[in-house]
Amino acid sequence: MDAGQDGGGTPAEWRSVMIDLSGSALADLVATDVAEDDDSALAHALRRVTAELERPGEPIAGFNSAI
Amino acid sequence: MSPRHFTLTDAAFASLGAGRPDPGTLGTLLRAQLSRNLLLLREVRRRQIAPAWFDRLGATGPDDAKHLITDPMTGLWAARALRAGDAADHPRPGGHRLTAVHHGLTLGVRVEDADPLREGFGLPPAEDHGTAALSRWQTLLDEAWLTLTSRHRPAAEVLAAVLRVIVPVRPDPAAEGISATSSEAFGAVALSAPADAAALAVGLLHETQHSVLNAVNLLFELVHPGGPAGYSPWRDDPRPAAGVLHGAYAYLAVTRFWRAELAHSGDRGAAFEFARWRVAVADAAGRLLDGGELTAAGTRFVTALRAEVRPWLDEPVDGEAVRLADLARTDHHLRWRLRNLTVPPEHTAELARAWRAGRPAPAVPSVPARGTGRALENSPRLRLIRSHLRNPGTAAVPDARDTAGDVACVRGDRVTALHAYHRDLREERDRDPAWSGLALVSPHRGLRCRPEVVKAAALAVPEADVDALADWLSG
Repeated sequence: MDAGQDGGGTPAEWRSVMIDLSGSALADLVATDVAEDDDSALAHALRRVTAELERPGEPIAGFNSAI
Repeated sequence: MSPRHFTLTDAAFASLGAGRPDPGTLGTLLRAQLSRNLLLLREVRRRQIAPAWFDRLGATGPDDAKHLITDPMTGLWAARALRAGDAADHPRPGGHRLTAVHHGLTLGVRVEDADPLREGFGLPPAEDHGTAALSRWQTLLDEAWLTLTSRHRPAAEVLAAVLRVIVPVRPDPAAEGISATSSEAFGAVALSAPADAAALAVGLLHETQHSVLNAVNLLFELVHPGGPAGYSPWRDDPRPAAGVLHGAYAYLAVTRFWRAELAHSGDRGAAFEFARWRVAVADAAGRLLDGGELTAAGTRFVTALRAEVRPWLDEPVDGEAVRLADLARTDHHLRWRLRNLTVPPEHTAELARAWRAGRPAPAVPSVPARGTGRALENSPRLRLIRSHLRNPGTAAVPDARDTAGDVACVRGDRVTALHAYHRDLREERDRDPAWSGLALVSPHRGLRCRPEVVKAAALAVPEADVDALADWLSG
């Protein structure tokens, strides 16, 4: 989410830091360089995805769904 | 390359929080997960991990390649490869294809019984997947799908869009059914063999809801990280706010399922489940909103979640089902406190000194107990409740595991239960099931609210009468 949306109030539209790459070819993404200090949308999305890997905690969300 | 940011209108986001995503929102979540997998695979490729996998991908057609990239096990593999910095090649998806079609809606899933990454769900994979086991899965899936498409159409549409893989796991003797979801494998659920079609339907709804929330979490931060762990009505261990939100969101779908089943059949078991979970979900959402750990997006999401479940609290439900639901919920909370909270030794000693000196009870803190960890611990009283529900109008049939206190408690005979639990504690004071049972029927507020404090005092002052201590601590 964009930082500006966490300042209170309800926006008309919620905008994610993630970008839609569903129409992109993997080969094109592999060929695209992204520097560590890159401020592009792709760089932000990449950091978002890789940051998830570094978060502490278990990947298991559901457990003991006894019914 | 100028890709667009993912966006959701506030109305669509609120519907998502209410557990009613529209097809457009589901499409957004699916594209976001494809984008995630593409980015992970980009990193795997650039780090030159498992090049053979990419060679094979390059040799497939575009549709097959997209299918492979979006596969839940591919997402899991790529995440693990990046975390480890290395990975073995990942085989093409194998498993067994199951399909169910009812009311014009198709559910196609792969029963994944060979991929070594099945371990990634944190539960031991099942071993037997011969013809008989698969046939059983197919039969139950067909029955569950008929129920879902006929009486839970919106939920069935979410399942059809999201669910791709079922990983069978070994049952746990301590639980009536276990299941899990990995945030790294969108669209995959791990399930023990369900007892019946209803159990499968609920299990799939529950776990798929976790997958949906994981997809939302990719798009938007809902919870500020780093907060303390606390009570969750669905787990025996303390959970952070993000975990409580997962439980509330999954059980929102479960509650809605039982609500519709109750309306359809009037079944007492459905009434119990609906009454039990509607309160748990509403309470958990309220605690999240009051807890200060939600982001602006999280607050909007959980506000919508609570607004969805709140009207259900006023819907009439059979009184006995409500009594048993309240009992089951309170039982869980009391057992959770006894398992996860304790009184520090210096404060326990202070309690003992005050009691022996005839002074009023001092205020003492409850703190997290060390090393409680994750566990499966179904209450014996829950088993008795289910037996009671299955045999309405008759006394619960006790077996060797049942205590006289539990049988009386579930029957609603508080006086008999009170005497029985006191008798159990006279025989052995350090017995948590008797403490939680006593707290369920005790007239003393101190015991009902903070059983761990009364237990700590009773162990520190073994000569004291438990009832007198509970009264003293309720002052």
